[in-house]
Amino acid sequence: MSVVQKEQEVVESLVDLLSEEQVNTNDEDLYEASVDRYKKYAFARNVLDVPQPVAIVYPDSSEEVSSLLQFCNENEINVIPRSGDTSTEGGLENWKDLTVIIDAENLNKIVDIDTYNMQATVQAGVPLEELEDELREKGFTTGHSPQSKPVAKMGGLVATRSIGQLSTLYGGIEDMVIGLECVFPDGHVSKIKNVPRRAGGPDIRHIAIGNEGTLCYITEVTVKIFKHYPENNKFYGYLTEDIETGIKVLREVMVNGYRPSVARAYSEEDAKQHFYHFSKDKCVLILMAEGPKNIVEATGEAVEEAVEKFDEGIIEEVDSELIEDWFNNLNWSQQDIEDEYEGMIENDSHAGFTTEISADWGTIPVIYNNVMERVKEEFPRAHELTLLGGHSSHSYINGTNLYFVYNYEINCAPEDELRVYHHPIHKIIVEETLKHGGSMCHHHGIGKYRSEWTKEEHGSAYYMLEKLKEVFDPKGIMNYGSIFPKEDGIKKYINKEE
Amino acid sequence: MKIICLVKYVPNVEDIKYDYEENVLIRDNVKLILNPDDAAAVAFALKLKDSRPDLELEVLTMGPKSVRPFVEDLLRRDVDQATIISDTAFAGSDTYATAKILAAYLKDKEYDCILTGSKSLDGDTSHIPAQVGEILNLNQMSNLMSIEQDSFTKDRAVFEVESGDKRLKYEILFPAVLSLRKESGYELPYIKYENMSLDVSDKLDIISNKELGLAEDSIGLKGSLTRVANTYNKNFKEKDKTVVKNDDQGIDFVYSFLERKGFV
Repeated sequence: MSVVQKEQEVVESLVDLLSEEQVNTNDEDLYEASVDRYKKYAFARNVLDVPQPVAIVYPDSSEEVSSLLQFCNENEINVIPRSGDTSTEGGLENWKDLTVIIDAENLNKIVDIDTYNMQATVQAGVPLEELEDELREKGFTTGHSPQSKPVAKMGGLVATRSIGQLSTLYGGIEDMVIGLECVFPDGHVSKIKNVPRRAGGPDIRHIAIGNEGTLCYITEVTVKIFKHYPENNKFYGYLTEDIETGIKVLREVMVNGYRPSVARAYSEEDAKQHFYHFSKDKCVLILMAEGPKNIVEATGEAVEEAVEKFDEGIIEEVDSELIEDWFNNLNWSQQDIEDEYEGMIENDSHAGFTTEISADWGTIPVIYNNVMERVKEEFPRAHELTLLGGHSSHSYINGTNLYFVYNYEINCAPEDELRVYHHPIHKIIVEETLKHGGSMCHHHGIGKYRSEWTKEEHGSAYYMLEKLKEVFDPKGIMNYGSIFPKEDGIKKYINKEE
Repeated sequence: MKIICLVKYVPNVEDIKYDYEENVLIRDNVKLILNPDDAAAVAFALKLKDSRPDLELEVLTMGPKSVRPFVEDLLRRDVDQATIISDTAFAGSDTYATAKILAAYLKDKEYDCILTGSKSLDGDTSHIPAQVGEILNLNQMSNLMSIEQDSFTKDRAVFEVESGDKRLKYEILFPAVLSLRKESGYELPYIKYENMSLDVSDKLDIISNKELGLAEDSIGLKGSLTRVANTYNKNFKEKDKTVVKNDDQGIDFVYSFLERKGFV
């Protein structure tokens, strides 16, 4: 049977399982579905090197997801679960000839908002912003606010262990998920009940949270909700001599037991691109206190005390209105994404890339300085870098993250950009992080473009991850190449070896 | 056929900041870029080389040794040979002294045509092409907007020049100096992946005044016919800053401002 015949047969079977309206074979949509934002530039220039999926399907229920997964499992068809499409590490990129995208678009119901028990249940395809808007009307919030909020959907956020800009107060999505429903490749539907806490063996929520569509398909989630007190918000901004001063202040606030919702320290290069109107080519430190008034007051005092303690590195205070204004406009919308694509079609440049890592307080400055030094010395195209810097944006009692940002002039063909520019820088960051015991993936996930280091990331614990894959997805149909390294895919699509 | 392209690496003016308190330009961390008009000249030559396998292409630049990685990238784009003229003795050279230095290198070279940009982003005098032509006794034309590729032979070229609101067509006999404008639209090709890290050191010469043998009083400040009587920065006054929010009021404010200034 020819490839075309096989593809046709798969499409017909999908239509039989669902309906014609639920199976999308539009060529433009399939082209778009073959990658995520990792290959944004090659996508915009129409030079993608990966196969297109056979179809995008839109199940209406968990039962339909179950039938689809059973069918794909029996026929060994690769499945890429999708919900929101804001992935940045190749998690939604297709590496298999025969692939079906299961999109949660029709799983779009807010099932229940329970303000007494402070939890909300939604289907996987509910946009975060829709849930957030509903909650805000009632005086509540999810507390989850990634930059992708206007585009991201709940299933995708949970499947990728997303984090929001207010995480230092509210936590990452893993701290918010109470229970969920997911479907495994053999069609089994598991529902994890919603309880405040339990000691019922290992916490099986974490098999689904962050699985990146490699073990199961998340169909429904229940998350915590929080009272929202926007009227109490307080903003703090400072120019600092160096990023280390900013990080020291963040640590001081955290270890003293306070939880600002926003806690960020920027290098001068990175600050310049976000805060050009006030950064004066200096590093920037930003904090925000939110919650009940007395907590905000106490957090604010703690911020001021911490700033005073490290006042040698503080240059000046920034008008808090400027910080508030920044905060109110920092999400990117679908229009921003489309504008960036338009720009990439016209110009040999794009908005740049990021690599986010985490480590303890003592290690973070070492990683930052080593990366800066190595990139400048070892990256063969260093003379074309137009931006190299970073910021810390999510802090914890024992450490913080670092978001490396970099941009460059592109002087190679669009299809070579990633291996010439992005991947070599990415590699230096990952190597330095792993060498010093940090994590190479703070919140963007592993996707396909960090899978070559998954074993190193987990060390001896990779055994546990590998066993999960063997048990839940023995035929390996779930999101081929994501998280679990696949030598052939890495050679073909990352290293581009013939 | 041989073409020599004269190019200059200039500070990216977009990176230059202004210190309103001290009234000085801040040049720290300013990146170098290939002068856009010169890039158009190399781009045309490379385009021509695509269809003329016998065409030999050399790039010549004068500047600090730090331009080396940028020059190497031109070699990786299929330029055959590159020369960087670099010597502290050349510091302070005006356009006349610079043209003399370039001409000293070029006088013993064989070539059919010298291609370069019409003006540079930093100096903007447009002297060099004409001065090099004068010293070497070559025909010279500036402000080229297009060159007829098929008519470009070992002996002559046909091209269009922008002159006021007109475009004039000329034919010129070689050897000659032709200066392009970036608006000609000639764009440098991408570097092929396999050539991104290609060792091109055997195609690159870095020479100093030791090789050129110019008398000390004919180069640098001493050899310059023009003198900078005084340097000063245009004193910009820091404008009143108004920060508006991304709301209807803010949008109205920006729109009325643009309207007032005649932009919309």
